[in-house]
Amino acid sequence: MNRELSVMMLTWEFPPRIIGGISPHVYNLSRNLAKHGVKVYVVTCDFPGAPQHEIIDGVEVYRVDSYKNPAPDFATWVYLMNMNMQKEAAALVHSLGGGIDVFHAHDWLVATAGIGLKHVFRKPFFATMHSTEIGRRNGIHTDYERMIHETEGWLTYEAWKIICCSDYMITHVQWAFEVPPDKLVMVPNGVNFEAYAKKENEDLSQFRNKFALPQEKIVLFVGRLVHEKGAHVLVSAVPKVLEKIDAKFVFVGNGYMRDQLSDLAQQLGIAHKVMFTGFLDDETLRKLQKCADVSVVPSLFEPFGIVALEAMAAGSPVVVSDAGGLPEIVNHEVDGVKVYAGNPDSLSWGITKVLTDEAFANRLRANAQRKIQEKYNWDTIAQQTKNVYETVLNEYSKLPWARKT
Amino acid sequence: MRIIIFSWEYPPRIVGELADYVKRLATELVKNNEKAWVVTYHDFLTGEYDEPEGVKTFRVTNPVHTHIGVLTWVLTLNQEVERVAANIYYASNKQVDLIDVYDWHFIPAAVTLKRALAIPFIYSVESVEEHRSHGANSPFNMSIKSIEWLGTYEAEKLVVKSEWMKEEITRIYKAPPDRIRVISPKSENWIKDILETYRSSGATA
Repeated sequence: MNRELSVMMLTWEFPPRIIGGISPHVYNLSRNLAKHGVKVYVVTCDFPGAPQHEIIDGVEVYRVDSYKNPAPDFATWVYLMNMNMQKEAAALVHSLGGGIDVFHAHDWLVATAGIGLKHVFRKPFFATMHSTEIGRRNGIHTDYERMIHETEGWLTYEAWKIICCSDYMITHVQWAFEVPPDKLVMVPNGVNFEAYAKKENEDLSQFRNKFALPQEKIVLFVGRLVHEKGAHVLVSAVPKVLEKIDAKFVFVGNGYMRDQLSDLAQQLGIAHKVMFTGFLDDETLRKLQKCADVSVVPSLFEPFGIVALEAMAAGSPVVVSDAGGLPEIVNHEVDGVKVYAGNPDSLSWGITKVLTDEAFANRLRANAQRKIQEKYNWDTIAQQTKNVYETVLNEYSKLPWARKT
Repeated sequence: MRIIIFSWEYPPRIVGELADYVKRLATELVKNNEKAWVVTYHDFLTGEYDEPEGVKTFRVTNPVHTHIGVLTWVLTLNQEVERVAANIYYASNKQVDLIDVYDWHFIPAAVTLKRALAIPFIYSVESVEEHRSHGANSPFNMSIKSIEWLGTYEAEKLVVKSEWMKEEITRIYKAPPDRIRVISPKSENWIKDILETYRSSGATA
């Protein structure tokens, strides 16, 4: 190729708009692709105070007015937002003389925009499936859920390749949408480990005091307080852990289960050992992760498990449930501890083991740090993604769509 | 002239008055030796393609079968309309002059095709949400109105069937009157006026 490869990323969230894991994923993937000489255009939803167009680390970011159309419900809003996103993206590609080589959509939230752009410009189209409706809801129960499920199926049908961040998700997507296996590619999610590097003379003891007494170990949960994340399993495990060691259980994040979780802690008589911080900004969260004596990821459904990687990058030992993508990240008793999903007894065993055996905890820390830097760094992941684009572009170049008329 | 017509109803699928009208128009265009394609919806009464009376008729269906309302159904169906229109465009060496869109349903597809491929469109207004919903302003009605507004804003020309509708469109959507053509289907000059409107909107004879 004479000129640099160019990709247009579609995503409903991009910093400073952060709703879940897609935002940091697309941000890190895009800027690392740019480092590898790929011209990246990100088209995303607007955010108060963020400019309509800016260049971040070589990445062209365009934000479209996403609340222009009133909508009766979230799904309808998504489709209307896609209409506006598609319109703006189409104008942008047209202004570039069609100079976009591939389109890349992240989740069903931008499915229809991506499908439309693929057909009007006749370019290879990629979809990263970060999650699925059938996984999030543990089944499809309503027309609303089925509509989203079918939209996801349509997206996987239209994509040339479907990228998943774990082997677990590959199997899951193949099962959920009956996708031919050769359409699926595994490229792991990454962690920005430089952000966790130890700062010189960093003293976190004052900071730690805000969350726990000096004699209390910190057990940290980070995630939305929803059923699939399993925060209730951790609350149920608290009494057994306290039988062995003094600890404070800190829950970071919000969700519809928050009141239920407080009630459960009250009933178990451990409310004074449990703290709900709500949503924390990145910097505070990273400090807290560095202070954590153990980080727990008790998910019941987890497409990937980025929060486990972040804890490992922060140097906190991890205890994860054997669910979704988590067992691929953690090698049991080598760089973390695996416990049975949905089982408070198993979870309390794992936490207690890490908190009571310091040599063991240190070994997990060291091995985890090495793994993060080798396997989950964004530089490698961007290169793998670029390879996927190039392989497909090579196939594409032999097909009628590539013929310039 | 090479014209693609978008209509959500077309015989044999008849919902209101639009189906027969669009059929009459397409047939008349073909009789006048203009190139016309119709892109419409089919619910299994018909196949994906046929050529009744010489009108090249493409029918799309919605890949998403389950819906929570007409809006999600229409918005997803637009992608298939857009895909078929893009296929027509590439198959005819990019020689498409104009798209004529009937009512709000397929305005999203027309707008993307305009922005992406520089194909202008005409918005032919049969009815508007303000009248259909008797002034209701729930988010559902407002969504449809926002799409109708987008049509009035992005279209080269608006075609209405009466002076009354011209006034209404101007009142409701502040559409500039000089972009609105009143063409009565009952007028003797009906097809002549339509062809003239197409020509003045960028279609070459």
